[in-house]
Amino acid sequence: LLGAHDTFHDFRHTIGMPCH
Amino acid sequence: MTPFMISAIPSECRVINKEDALIKKFVLSIAGGVIWGWMAMFVNSVSGAFMFEGSFPHNLVTFAVAGAVFGAVAGGLLCAVEARLPFKSLALKAVMVTTAVWVVLRLGGAMLSKMEPARYNIVTPQTVQGFFLAVILGIILGLLLKNRPLPIQES
Repeated sequence: LLGAHDTFHDFRHTIGMPCH
Repeated sequence: MTPFMISAIPSECRVINKEDALIKKFVLSIAGGVIWGWMAMFVNSVSGAFMFEGSFPHNLVTFAVAGAVFGAVAGGLLCAVEARLPFKSLALKAVMVTTAVWVVLRLGGAMLSKMEPARYNIVTPQTVQGFFLAVILGIILGLLLKNRPLPIQES
């Protein structure tokens, strides 16, 4: 008692999440 | 430390220690996440599952930030549910939490991929690598967050 897409693009691919 | 020994510590000290212990776990989770983020960079460089598009300094920062977020979330979840998990070893509990988080995220990704296959395409080697990295994060958190006895403070 309490931009995001482009920035983390490489990270997302690295941890195996689907992305273009 | 026995319950009797804990009860011998003045209550105001115990309050400080308990909060300190939780904050310490939170900070350790973030630190573990940062280490894991950089480890993920290294693993991907070796495996070649994905060719990095960003520059090295950019990735060094973004992987650290993303790793810190993952570490904090996984560490927080671990603290919340560790008593209910069936394993004795904290490392196994942590691996269970991190892989569960990864699977949930991956299922969300699979759903997006079904809705927009052109935009969200699935690459199996990256998926395998991601699961492997989730296990590594669990091991790191399990080693860092091992329960240590409360420190005794003189009042």
